[in-house]
Amino acid sequence: MPDLWYIYILPCLCSFTACVGLTLVFNIHGVGRLICGVGGALGWLIYLLAGSSILAAFLASAAIGLYAEAMARLRRCPVTGYLLVALLPLVPGGGIYFAMSYCVAGDIQRFLDTLLHTFGMAAALAVGAMMTSSLFRAAYPYLHRTKPGA
Amino acid sequence: MDYDQLLNLSVELGCQLMSSGAEIYRVEESVRRLLQAYGLDSPEVFAIPNCVIVSITTPQGHPITRMRRIGGHGTDIELLERCNALCRQLCAHPPEIGKAQALLSALPEQTPRYPPRRVLLAYGIAPAFFSPIFGGCISDAMAAMLAGLSVGVCLLYGGRFIGSNSFFRTAICSVVASLMSLLLVHLGLGRSLDTVTISALMVLVPGVALTNAMREIMAGDIISGLCRAAESILTGTAIAIGAAIGLAIGGIF
Repeated sequence: MPDLWYIYILPCLCSFTACVGLTLVFNIHGVGRLICGVGGALGWLIYLLAGSSILAAFLASAAIGLYAEAMARLRRCPVTGYLLVALLPLVPGGGIYFAMSYCVAGDIQRFLDTLLHTFGMAAALAVGAMMTSSLFRAAYPYLHRTKPGA
Repeated sequence: MDYDQLLNLSVELGCQLMSSGAEIYRVEESVRRLLQAYGLDSPEVFAIPNCVIVSITTPQGHPITRMRRIGGHGTDIELLERCNALCRQLCAHPPEIGKAQALLSALPEQTPRYPPRRVLLAYGIAPAFFSPIFGGCISDAMAAMLAGLSVGVCLLYGGRFIGSNSFFRTAICSVVASLMSLLLVHLGLGRSLDTVTISALMVLVPGVALTNAMREIMAGDIISGLCRAAESILTGTAIAIGAAIGLAIGGIF
């Protein structure tokens, strides 16, 4: 049980709070803040469950994409805000930093490794959210017989 | 109907949407729908991240065009949501143009904004809670919070000294974040330099540009998508340069 707490629950709670904090930077008010926070926690949970790899980042961003589209339809608001904040914890800031630290130390092999891994993470994030958003948009008219909101 | 005023109204709407961080397709479609709601059948709208061009032909066959350039801007989701709602309202029941213009111009002042102090607090809270995610302990979180606050001070109050060039601004903030973390870890607050620095850098990371780039490409606006992808790579490079400077100075001492 303590393992579960330290490995999954605590990081997700932290991700939630950090995302709610970041909503202030993007001037999000009201229920939107909670939605962003839950999105961040959901993304990080899936990233951890799937094994913290590039594939995990892909799955997490796909889940966030789906979640953000659904929430935006529910509230009839633009998707951008929810997607933006919920994806932030997954953006590979650590990758950039470690790549640079190897570069400064002159360890070219590890520098290139980390750099490519960072690019892979960023690409996985972009493709994941892009794919589910497009799928959602294509499938939505069939799920719901109403005209989809812009 | 006064088509000059209608054109002004639509360009103003496009400009406000764009400067609040809307995607290109949203700007183009909103302006097109607004013009159609006022009875024009084939309005032409073209937008790229810092320019909106709207061209209409009056029923008498007289073409008029207006272009508006949009400077650097942040992301303001509340304004975006309100603009979007207003656009829907105008399209559903088009009022007189003067009235619509008044509603639109009043929007930026009516939109609630967080006072700078609370935004600064957010710059502290976010890194503090990012650090446990990256494996930090309580003291790491404290150090990350202080480093994040220093980045927030640079971003919110340092605009005059740093200038408006976003590449340079990100690089400076990244240097500040890494030097602050270095200092705090040397002073004994915070155990792992890597964790503290990464947590503080997370507030600078190009998440906005990356998300926007992929949404533009998804909507088929390749030019804008490439612009924003380039922006996210440049921001990433700026962070890397800043972190490298911090690391190099850390290596000397």
